[in-house]
This record gives sequence, structure tokens and C-alpha cells, in this order.
Amino acid sequence: SSQLSSLPLQILLYVNGIYYIFYFLTTLAMIIYKSQVFSYPDDLLAPDLTVLFLMAILEIPRLYLGFKGNLTEAEAPLGLSLGLTVGSVVLCVYLLLWQTYVLWADVLLNALLLSAYGLESGLKVMAIAAFVS
Amino acid sequence: VARLCVCDLLVAQCDVNCCCDPDCSAQDFSLFTACSVPVVTGDSQLCSQKAAVYSLDVEANPPERIFKLIDQVNPSIFCIHATNYEQALYLKSPEIPTPENFDQLLDKFGGATFSAEHDSWNLDTDAQNPPDANETSRYEYGVPVQTEDEFLRLPSPVVSSWCSDANPAGFLVNQATKCIRSVSVEKCDSIQALSMLFYINSSILAVPKSSQMVNITVQSIVVQSLNGMRTLLSSSDVLRLPMVLDELCINAVLGVNYHITHTDTGEIIEAAAAFVLGAISKEALSIEQSFEISFTQENTQPVPLSGNPGYVVGLPVRAGFQPQGYPFPAAFLSNKHSQLTILQSSSTQDCLAAQGARAPVLFGYNMISGCKLRITAAMKCQPLAQTLLDVLKGQSFPEYVASFGNSQAQDVLDWVPITQLHISEQMISHTLQSSCQIPVSLGIEVKWTKYGSLVNPQARIVNVTATITSTTLKQLPSGRERIIPITSSVVFTDISSPAEPSYKAWPTINIKLPFDFFYPFV
Repeated sequence: SSQLSSLPLQILLYVNGIYYIFYFLTTLAMIIYKSQVFSYPDDLLAPDLTVLFLMAILEIPRLYLGFKGNLTEAEAPLGLSLGLTVGSVVLCVYLLLWQTYVLWADVLLNALLLSAYGLESGLKVMAIAAFVS
Repeated sequence: VARLCVCDLLVAQCDVNCCCDPDCSAQDFSLFTACSVPVVTGDSQLCSQKAAVYSLDVEANPPERIFKLIDQVNPSIFCIHATNYEQALYLKSPEIPTPENFDQLLDKFGGATFSAEHDSWNLDTDAQNPPDANETSRYEYGVPVQTEDEFLRLPSPVVSSWCSDANPAGFLVNQATKCIRSVSVEKCDSIQALSMLFYINSSILAVPKSSQMVNITVQSIVVQSLNGMRTLLSSSDVLRLPMVLDELCINAVLGVNYHITHTDTGEIIEAAAAFVLGAISKEALSIEQSFEISFTQENTQPVPLSGNPGYVVGLPVRAGFQPQGYPFPAAFLSNKHSQLTILQSSSTQDCLAAQGARAPVLFGYNMISGCKLRITAAMKCQPLAQTLLDVLKGQSFPEYVASFGNSQAQDVLDWVPITQLHISEQMISHTLQSSCQIPVSLGIEVKWTKYGSLVNPQARIVNVTATITSTTLKQLPSGRERIIPITSSVVFTDISSPAEPSYKAWPTINIKLPFDFFYPFV
């Protein structure tokens, strides 16, 4: 068959989108919980919230470009999506390691997201290779 | 955690039943019965942390302490895995003064009060004013009265009897203080606190943080001579400054009495100061200065309240007269002189020689007083009865008593009439009406009740009854005399009914269908 679009990548992108919504809401709720239960001064709360919202803002074009690139078999959007994934990975690592309070639930969520990103990146590279050749 | 011990209170000594105490030896441990502190851990919110567990092994002989260092795991999914904020789980330690932050710390903590008020004196920060305008647009009780540079000072003794000038006068706080100031006659014109200017030169702000000023006027000057005699000066507009004259320092301020007039919205409109100036002799090393401040609301007579609103135990019961007005009286006459008073027992105990000294009736204090009346045969009945009535009731016995401690004279309903009863003890055998009746006792019974909320009940006078008991005066054979005791008493009775707590009604959901709900069918 001459279908070059990667089915696993599509599935993964779709699942990633749903998981990300859950991840965003949960992390926001946990930051609110932490700010009530622990001592969370404002100048430490601001960076954590900024990173979370920045990640959300990055995620939307990232997923859209991924879908578009994979379905239209074009490498440019897929490449751009890969670039945005790098940014998302950095922010995810921040939330995993350098947040003010890292709860066990935080570790789980971020680890899952990181592994999804890693798998996605691998599949995207393979898809780009398939489209180019 | 192995080194932490909460129960180790005694230094270099073994604390009883403290298993983590490093000062205890194995012999001490064998005497313990239990471990008061079984586990020492860090914050329990952490996912995994070291915990020191202490326990006593009572099976062994002698009992020995078991110390284990274990890893305690918090199974919750919201346990803290890591933190990047060092102070998160510890108490904040105070700032250590260093040469850099010393000035700032001194500003904050070095004054007589730990307050940030120093920043608010900065009139340049107008940006702050609009949000605070509502709260500080008037003075409230206790707020220091502000002047141009700082606040109105009322020197008072702080730790010792020496005057401290840093005591601010609080709004509506009537104060009277006396303190000692060290002086020297040679330098008396340079000591600021002895000069009138010091007390009146800065104008008072009408409202906090505003630019409206109220000048302090000199109300009166009283000059006190060295032997203590005081003379009121007729012209009080001349400022008299202290100066040295013949080894005396004259015109030194010995007392200041501030009178501040304010509106009912907390704005100061007038300020006046009455001075007592005196002379200081060369030998005097210190003088006593007295200061007083009183606040009056504009257009009112300063009548001291006996409670707000309920009566306060120990304050005089306020009473007054109803002026003759038809059909209804407009207001009551009540001033400092119309008080409910009771006969005051004197040392001579002779009713007729009584000087007319009367004691005010204080709320809540039952009083009894009396005197002895010596009746001779020559005394006529009617004048005697009248005199005794005057002795018992006083010159102006009021007709109404204020129901609340702060009843205003205009509120007619807040005043309770005094019921006057006459009881005559008549001997049954002598029922002649024409026989002489003289009053022998006056009993005032004040019935009061608790009024208002359960948590803060206010005392309210409900009923006042003045009972005069008279007895017949039997005619004495000439030459004989009798001594009759005359008594007067005041009794306060609490007639409050038991309190019933009442609660607000549950809110009801009021659902009603619209009028034409069933339109097509009805």
C-alpha cells in the first residue's frame, strides 16, 4: 500500500491530546492544593503556573501540526511539531524536577507524559524519513 | 533525626522516660517504664524519610532501649517527593542584623512601637490614598491624633515616673497623666517641654492623612505662685515663654489640659489647651507636670455616660427631671447636678446636724446609710417631718431615672419614672389620722434586667421605687428625749428572665408557579 502516514503515530497523537487535557487539569488542581496546604510564596508560585500554561499553549499547535503533517504526509508540519515537542519536553522536565513541590502524583504524570513525548518523537522521525524518501 | 530529641529538656542530665536522651546511660534506661517519644521523624508529608524509632524491650532483664533507624514511607499519592524550596518545611528564622540591613531594621523595630506607621507619614505616596480613603477618612476610637509632623503628644510616665514625650493621645480616649520632668533653672528657657509653644505649635489634622489643619488655641492660662496659689489670667492670647528672673524660672508649664471638639463622623473641628504656668525655684531639680485630654462632641454638653448602652457597675445612676411642658415633655433635664443620691452617713451621726453630704447612687452597689435623730418634747411634728424628708431625699430628688447608661435627654421613652410609695407603720390601737407621722426610712429599690444579646448582655433599669416608711411620733413627756434611727438604703435587684436562645429561621425556598402556568387548560 502506498499509505505513508503512520497509524501508530496517529493513535499516539490522539491519545496524547486526551491525556494532556487530563494532565493539565490535574496539575493545576494539585498546584492549587499545594498552595493551600504548604507554604507557597507568590514568587515561587508564579513560575510554576507560567510553565504550566506555556506548556498548554505549546501543546495545541504541536498536536495540530502533528495531525496535519501525518495525514497530509508532509514533512514540514511534522518537523515543526518535532521542534515544538522539544520545547514541551523541556517544560515537562521542569515540572518533574524543578517545581517547588514535586509530589508523587506529579512524578507519575510527568513521567507518563515524557514517555509519550519520547515515543512520539521517535515515530515522527520515522514518519519524516518515510515521507522524504 | 538520630540526633533530634524533643524530650531532652535537662542539660547534661537524664530526662525521665526519654528514650532518645543522649545523657542517659544503659542503667537509666533500665529504670524507664515507657518511652514518651516513640518516633522522631521529619515532616510526615514527605514520601520517604528516615525515622528514629525508640522502644523499650521489657522482656529482657534489665530492660534495655532499642534504637532503630528505619525508612518511613508515606503511602499517599500526594506525598512530597522532592522540594526545591529549602524553607518549605521549616520555621522562618528572623533576619540577622548586618551592616547592610541594620538601618532598615532599626527603622522598623527601633522605635517605641513596631509599626509601619512611619511609612504612612510620607505624604508623597498619594497613590496609596485612594484605596484607603474610605477607612482612614475619619478618626476612630484609639487612633492616635495626628498633627503636622507626628502625633499629639501627651507626656506620661512610661516605665518610671519620668515624663516620656512619645505617648500619643488616642482619639476619644480621655486621659489624665502626671509625670516628673527633670529641670534646671539656668537652662529653663531652652528646655522645650517647659514652654507653651511646645504644646501648641503643631496643628492637628482634622482627619488622618489630610491637609486640613486645626490650630490649637489657648483657652486659658492659670498662673501658680510658689506657694501654690493659682490665679486665672484675664488675657490668654499672649504667649508666655519661660524665662529666668531673680533665680526663678517663671512661666514654666506645670500642666496642660487639652479639650478637643469633634463631630460625630470622627472629624476634629476645634482644639483648645488650658495651661497652668508656674515658677520653678533654683533648688528644684525636677517638677511634676500633669496633662489631661478630653473629647467632646460638638453641640453637646459633656455629660459623662454611665455605660454604653447598658449601665456599668460602679458608675452613677443618671437621673433627671421632667420640665413642665404640655402636653408631652420635649426633653429631660439632666446634668451633673441631678443625680440620684442617698444620705451619706457622717461621723456625728446626727440627722439634724447633717451637712447635707450626699453620696451618689452607683449602679450595682447596694448601699445603706443612716443617722440618729434625737427627739425632744419641744419639737413640733410638721417641721420635723419636713426636715427629715429633706434629710432622706435631699434637696432635689429626681423624678426620672435613665433606663440605659447612655440615654439621651431627648429620648423620652428611655427614662423610667420613680414610683414613690408611702408606708406608714401605724399602731393598730392608735388609728387617728391626725397623729404625727414622721418619715424614718427611705428605701430605693432599683429593678434592672439584662437586655440584648446573650454574649454581651447590657444592664437596663426597668423600675425604680422609692418607699418612704413613716411612723407615728408619740408625744413625749417633757424633759424626756428619744433617739430614733433614720435609715436610707438602695437595693439593686436583677429581674432578668432566663435567657432563651433564639436562632434565625431556616431559609425557605419560595417556589411559586407563574399565574398562567396551565394557560390553555385553566
